[in-house]
Amino acid sequence: MSSSDDFGGRQGRSFNADDVPWDQIGKGIQLALIGLTVVVVLLVGWSMFYRVEASDEGVVLRFGKQVATVPPGLHMKMPWPIDTVYQVPVQRIQSLEFGFETSQAGRKTLYAPKTSDDLAVAEMLTGDLNLGHVEWIVQYRIKDPMEFLFKVGSTEKIDLTSLPSGTVSDVNAAVPDTISDVSESVMRKLVGDSSIDYVLTIGREQLAKQAQELIQEELDNFEAGVDIITVKLQTTSPPTEQVQDAFQEVDRARQKKEQVVNEALGERNSKIPAARGAKDKAIAEAEGYQNRVVLETTGQVSAFLAQLAEYEKAPDVTRKRLYLEAMEEILSQAGSKTIIDESIRGVLPLLNLDQGTPIPSVERGGVR
Amino acid sequence: MKTRIAATVLVILGIAAIVLYSSAYIVEEGKQVIVTQFGKPVDDVQDAGLHFKTPFIQEAYYLEKRLLPWDGAPESMQTKDKKRIDIDVWARWHIIHPMTFFVKVRNEARGQKILDDLVDSAVRDVVARHNLIDVVRKSNDELIYETEELERTEADPVMGNGRDDVEDEILRGVDLKEYGMELVKVRIKRVNYVASVRATVYERMISERLRIARLYDSEAQEEKNRILGQTTKELDQIEGEMEQKDAEIRGEANAQVIQMTAEAYGQSPDFYEFLRRLEVLKTTLDRDTRLILSTESDLFRMLKEPGQPMSAPVLSPRTSP
Repeated sequence: MSSSDDFGGRQGRSFNADDVPWDQIGKGIQLALIGLTVVVVLLVGWSMFYRVEASDEGVVLRFGKQVATVPPGLHMKMPWPIDTVYQVPVQRIQSLEFGFETSQAGRKTLYAPKTSDDLAVAEMLTGDLNLGHVEWIVQYRIKDPMEFLFKVGSTEKIDLTSLPSGTVSDVNAAVPDTISDVSESVMRKLVGDSSIDYVLTIGREQLAKQAQELIQEELDNFEAGVDIITVKLQTTSPPTEQVQDAFQEVDRARQKKEQVVNEALGERNSKIPAARGAKDKAIAEAEGYQNRVVLETTGQVSAFLAQLAEYEKAPDVTRKRLYLEAMEEILSQAGSKTIIDESIRGVLPLLNLDQGTPIPSVERGGVR
Repeated sequence: MKTRIAATVLVILGIAAIVLYSSAYIVEEGKQVIVTQFGKPVDDVQDAGLHFKTPFIQEAYYLEKRLLPWDGAPESMQTKDKKRIDIDVWARWHIIHPMTFFVKVRNEARGQKILDDLVDSAVRDVVARHNLIDVVRKSNDELIYETEELERTEADPVMGNGRDDVEDEILRGVDLKEYGMELVKVRIKRVNYVASVRATVYERMISERLRIARLYDSEAQEEKNRILGQTTKELDQIEGEMEQKDAEIRGEANAQVIQMTAEAYGQSPDFYEFLRRLEVLKTTLDRDTRLILSTESDLFRMLKEPGQPMSAPVLSPRTSP
């Protein structure tokens, strides 16, 4: 570069001079030209080689028109301005977060504190006009580098030619912006047609699946050149802690209901079989009683019949004998005996029966 | 001389380079170019590649061919059913008639400005024609709840396709043809109650849930009482059956006894009575009994007059205190 400055300077002074040392100037020019040529050749040579990274694909434009896409590796191209190459990270899976932000991913992922914008993204109306808080992620991959580069643009970065060729990783910021817009409206549309319960619990998987399909469809309409790999719902919760508490109160009441019912059933289970057992016991006892009395009676009856048979052979004597035997037993057992003769019957009222005073008794078995 | 020729060649080359530079231009994929002559647009170029124009006289202006984003600011507005909501809308547009666009709008930034004005008023118009539920829902499909207690009886019906219709109406309400632009899509990004209403919505959600919780509580009592009542009923049934059976069996036993004894003792009631009397005497008279016997009693009479037939002895047993 300094040589060309030199050249210009000398030329400026050569206006009014006849004896210009043309030889020297010629030599200088020659030298400068040689130097310039070497530099240009080097630069051109350098710019003809480029490397496509392993996760990328190169899109080669000749005078702005696409001529080839090339795989990773070292490649040659025509020098600037004829060929330009965009590197598009087709293999890389990129992720967008909605309603939260991972500040540091790693062994222990850290989340950035929620901003008011995060909350605005996550809070949405449900179909029953309740509010829910939904966080989700979208993972995508570039499937068509041409579409990715040249179908969806932005007004901020209009001049693609201003991008240096070969080293751009975030080639087209308009596409993530579009995915972001589309997925926000799709998620809201789905949540807007669901109940709060569906969003919070039962419908999470279904919502994510439908969202993925709808986002993909809309992006295909825009020819954004991306593949939505997955949509996953993260936290879905009621909008504020107070509301969350009320939701948990319902869960608690449901658990409590089960508990109370189970306790009642337990009480029932503890009583009914016991009562059935008591019933069986009573029946068995009654049957035992029946057996016993029948047997007893059978015994008594046969004893009586046997006695009767013998008695009938000699009724009088047997009767007397039985009577006397009984009397003997009775009289021998009785505690006190008073024998009153017919002739002194008048004494009876004088006895103080209530006081139970011992009455002077006659000798046992004695007869007046 | 040689060097002079060389210098001349160099100058000519330089001029040629300048002419080339000012006449050739590159149209990249995703771009389109308007060629102007003294400021007046004369041609538009759609194809990517190397193109030429008259140097110095004509100029090339680059315009986007790609889909362009538009994102409005959240606006607060009122629905037909007088609900105040914040609504945030995005759109995608592109330049379809570059010549018209170049004359009337000139560049994309101004195009955005036009959208700011037009889309915003279209959104207001359409939202004012619809109830809130139309902006939120897209169908009348029944909402799915975890428990049936939560299902709402009264739900506002959605007109047509709800949110999809609202978006379409906004799209149709924005006419960009005269600007050489086309609106491809309008989508509602966010819609929410205004902040002051949100607090009451939270309150409503809380009260609704607490209502369900109380319902569960009382249902628990209901179920419990039902179970316990049923239990008592069954217990009574079981105990009744028990007593019935018990009585039946014992009664049957006693009947059997009666039958057996009546049959046997009926053969000689007199002898039976005699035996039983003796038994009774034996069991009722014990050590604590005071006997007052008359010499007229059978026992003694038997002694006095042996051989006389006798009747049962007259005894007056008395148990002392």
